Amino acid sequence: MLVVQLKTEDELRLKIADNKVFIIECLGCQDVYFPNKEVDEYIRSLEKQVIARVRLDYLCNRDYASAYIKAYDKQIQKAQIVLVISCGVGMQVISSLLDHKIVYTCCDTLYLNGFQGLSAQPFDCYQCGECYLNYTGGVCPLTNCPKELINGPCGGARDGKCEVNPDADCAWAVIYERLYKLNKLDIVKKILKPRDHSRIISQSLSRERIKR
Amino acid sequence: METKLIDYTKFSLKPAEEIHEIVDRVENIFILSCAKCYQLFEREAGEDYFTLLGLLGEDTKKIAGHAQIDFLCNNILSEKAISSLDLSGCSAVGVISCGLGIQFVAHLLEGKPVYAMADSVPQSANSTSGIGYHGISLEQEKCAACGQCYLNATGGICPMIDCAKGLLNGPCGGARDGKCEVDPSLDCAWVKIYERIGNRGEQLTLGDTRIHDYSKPALQLKNDLSTLNNKLRNEGFYGGLHPLEEKQQTEHLAIEKFPEPEEVVIFLSQHTGKKASPMVQPGDYVRVGQKIAGADGFISASIHSSVSGKVVSIEERIHPVLQRRELAVVIENDRENSLDSHCKPNSDFKKLSVKSLLDIVRESGIVGLGGAMFPTQVKLAPPKKVDTLLVNGCECEPFLNGDNRIMIERPQDIIIGIGLLKKILGVNRTIIGVENNKADAITSFKGVLKNSAVELLRLNTKYPQGAEKMLIKKILGREVPSGGLPFDVGVIVSNVGTILAVYDAVVQGIPLYKRVITVSGEDMSRPGNYLVKIGTPLKEIIQYCFDGDIEDIFTKYDLKMGGPMMGIIQTSLDSSVIKGTSGLTLLKRSPVQLSEDNDCIKCGRCVDVCPMELHPHYYAFYGKKAELGRADDYNVMDCIECRSCEYICSAKLPLMSFIKREKEYARSTVKN
Amino acid sequence: MSFSEKLREKNFIVTAEVGPPKGVNINRILDEAELLKGKVDAFNVTDLQSSVMRLGSLAVSHLLQERGMEAIFQMTCRDRNRLSLQSDLLNAYVLGIRNVLALTGDHPSLGDHPNAKSVFDLDSVSLLQVASNLMDGRDMNGNELDGKPDFCLGAVVNPGADPYELQLLKMQKKIDCGAKFIQTQAIFDLEKFGEFMNQAQRFGVPILGGIIILKSAGMAKFMNENIAGISVPEKYIERMIQIAREDRPKVAVEIANELVEGMKTLCQGVHIMALGWERYVPDLLEASALI
Repeated sequence: MLVVQLKTEDELRLKIADNKVFIIECLGCQDVYFPNKEVDEYIRSLEKQVIARVRLDYLCNRDYASAYIKAYDKQIQKAQIVLVISCGVGMQVISSLLDHKIVYTCCDTLYLNGFQGLSAQPFDCYQCGECYLNYTGGVCPLTNCPKELINGPCGGARDGKCEVNPDADCAWAVIYERLYKLNKLDIVKKILKPRDHSRIISQSLSRERIKR
Repeated sequence: METKLIDYTKFSLKPAEEIHEIVDRVENIFILSCAKCYQLFEREAGEDYFTLLGLLGEDTKKIAGHAQIDFLCNNILSEKAISSLDLSGCSAVGVISCGLGIQFVAHLLEGKPVYAMADSVPQSANSTSGIGYHGISLEQEKCAACGQCYLNATGGICPMIDCAKGLLNGPCGGARDGKCEVDPSLDCAWVKIYERIGNRGEQLTLGDTRIHDYSKPALQLKNDLSTLNNKLRNEGFYGGLHPLEEKQQTEHLAIEKFPEPEEVVIFLSQHTGKKASPMVQPGDYVRVGQKIAGADGFISASIHSSVSGKVVSIEERIHPVLQRRELAVVIENDRENSLDSHCKPNSDFKKLSVKSLLDIVRESGIVGLGGAMFPTQVKLAPPKKVDTLLVNGCECEPFLNGDNRIMIERPQDIIIGIGLLKKILGVNRTIIGVENNKADAITSFKGVLKNSAVELLRLNTKYPQGAEKMLIKKILGREVPSGGLPFDVGVIVSNVGTILAVYDAVVQGIPLYKRVITVSGEDMSRPGNYLVKIGTPLKEIIQYCFDGDIEDIFTKYDLKMGGPMMGIIQTSLDSSVIKGTSGLTLLKRSPVQLSEDNDCIKCGRCVDVCPMELHPHYYAFYGKKAELGRADDYNVMDCIECRSCEYICSAKLPLMSFIKREKEYARSTVKN
Repeated sequence: MSFSEKLREKNFIVTAEVGPPKGVNINRILDEAELLKGKVDAFNVTDLQSSVMRLGSLAVSHLLQERGMEAIFQMTCRDRNRLSLQSDLLNAYVLGIRNVLALTGDHPSLGDHPNAKSVFDLDSVSLLQVASNLMDGRDMNGNELDGKPDFCLGAVVNPGADPYELQLLKMQKKIDCGAKFIQTQAIFDLEKFGEFMNQAQRFGVPILGGIIILKSAGMAKFMNENIAGISVPEKYIERMIQIAREDRPKVAVEIANELVEGMKTLCQGVHIMALGWERYVPDLLEASALI
């Protein structure tokens, strides 16, 4: 899921300068990972520029964001800039609802493994649409290999560790171990075709839209 | 309002040829299917398994079994679920889930052939970054999580997501009528950006030339943060969460005696079990500490007057917890504070026998002050032998500081109280658990614990650690069985306030007629930790502590008795403080209210936070269909009503209402 | 005179286009180019146009240079990351190429390898900036080069886009990053082009209006539906429908000529995209009194 880091002070100062700001902070995913201290410190540093700071949740939900904006309408009007502290999704929703107002984000968004809930996962999935796990004993060659190699390792691994991230295992070393245990090493001999990137368009653009 | 939501289904069954290829290879196969996430929760059983059966035709005889698991990627709960299955007879396991679930099962069952029966489905529609993440909603906005947000330069429209080529410096030449050359049903992102900036009265300058930094965010950082998060969230006990603590408002305020109330309204039901029977009538004169109602039955407690004065009436008032009319003894306060003659200190309390001690506890009307209000004399005489006493100094609710302050101000008395309980229970071990957001309390205890056998444990703050089952799991690693109680695993848990009440009763001879409550919240003019008399009307407390318009208390705010998580919303200022009142918290009402009409989107957060490892989204599922009785299949009676699920619910469903309805139904139904 | 010098000295510039084959038989395209040798000021060589895999623009640009024809090496950002883009600029220089046109590039989904991964590590603006860096003797990360290339850099603009202000904004950026000339997408609406040029003139950079020789009504319709950045108005499609097959080249040249005449008063030259009818370009040039 999405988590945030505060942008650098220089970048923020450039955008915000001396303007009066109304701050909307999203608490929806605070429990995953949130730079509480830095955010508090930064807001304190803005001192008198801050008209109000409201802590809400799930700005990514358009209905809620809409209701929040309505409720705080007067204060938002007084502000020259609306500052959003949330991931890129919440920021985009607020920006589109306040499309006549200057809205800035204080954060850069990162991603932690996993799609659901609050707990990050030990594994990740790149949603490639053509799962390779049957050829690798259940170890994903895309998420575990920085080069996303699907036909075996590169020559760079040292002592089973990845040349790019020396703290990480070489994905193909792990795959080899896994297949060895399963007595299915012959799978590695199969030549896998390169990824079909067109699935990203064909499969997601035609995604069903639900009407309520 | 017609809203276009998106079905973010993460996987679909592999093509038939691939499925056949897998099944042909194996002798038999057990199928694990994930119930899916991020789509409207409209049916219980996933369709993929049935589609699979259809595909296999006569090969279905190779299927050794099937289990559907909710949120297969939730590794902690799924591991438990899978371990309970008998997979010994099958030569392979087929998994119908997204890549997360398949990898997890392959890792868990290492050594057994695990096959992916599904392909993940791409989410993003962006063929350059390939990835776009949706929020905790089914809305269309997505974020590329690139770690170098461009939204401030583009009026809040993401060029990585909305531009098929991920261009950062303006449009390519391919757009036709403002539509993207790659997919004409999509708008050109840069035309949208240009228009958005224009709407704000700004000029799109395109600023400095932007070049994307593909080394961000670092792969290793993502993996490290993920692993750390996964570990931390399950520390001590599964799930739980970290609401804003908001302790700073009152944590440094010493306990203050609340001004004498004009009258007290003492409810006859201030404890678990049968309500007490009144022993006074209107017109009677009573003294402080005098018993005014007697325990009725084994699980019940007696009640004492907290003021001296005349009994005005025994009438119905809105009970603050039950939120319905209940009988209360109303006494006019003569402000003399004349003490009842029975209230005398015991100088030789150390010589008292276990039986005498229990008699004093019973006679003093002591009940669990942590909120459950269970009669303490019953708790301290458990039907099974116990070996450990856990002292609950967690106070995990935000805003509250009552327990914190008594630990800071009266640690010695608490230690003596612990000694008394130790004697009564005959335990070997006594452990005080205090959350690490109470540094002063910890220091205070350390000061008096030298050479003491009482252990002090500093616990990482996590709600609801103060719930007994969670505390037992965290400190002792023991799990209270479903439907069981702490003594089933040899433990008794007692709140510090209760223990202090036992000290006051045994050593000072004072029955339970006053307690510390934290009055606090948003816009509370005079927050504090007040020593209030039981029966003090809420009206007097609000008049003293709140300068705003009293009309607003029930319109602009929620006034909760307790903390924001488990506190009960008050509806009448004629209610009063009872033995279980830990505080009064004033909270501004959110512009967005919970509603049973909202739709569960299977985001899985409730399952992630439930400390009892339940599946609250099913309570919503059946609750919305008004199908009572089904929730029991999902162990609703194990729910401790900590409200973590409702707090975190992204669909803002009133989960507690569904749960309470189910529990009531279960209790009222006779089961054979 | 080099193309770069002509941009400064000449009144009206003419460039043509060479589209490499899908294979290695280069004779035809080189012979067709020879027909225009001396008649046009430079030849653009397209880079895997429409995302169809074919011979690259680097090789063909070099071959043109060898035969005494000045090439404009088109570089798209679709297939190469910043490392190979910088490297190919250096490759181009040592192979004698002196003019580069920087483009974003069509998306792979439009071509014959729709499953390819698209790169777009840089875009046309950043590619121009990067080329300018190399010309200053440093790579884009500031590392010093051993010998520096020198190019005449160009960029593309689509005056037919709506809103065209956006194209103007980006055009400014391209010029800031080093573009010394602009070639436009095919123009069919002179009035609209005039409006655009009113705004674009002040940038002070020579602009060459794009001309396509329409082969048939069918081709026009096909391009409208499939080729990014091109929009042929109904009136020209009508003209092509009404005539006999053998008259098509004549009418095609007529239409193109009208457009060229219009451009003489609006911009600094034309860029002719013959799309297979290179042999009729001399007729067009004659009709327009450009040779």
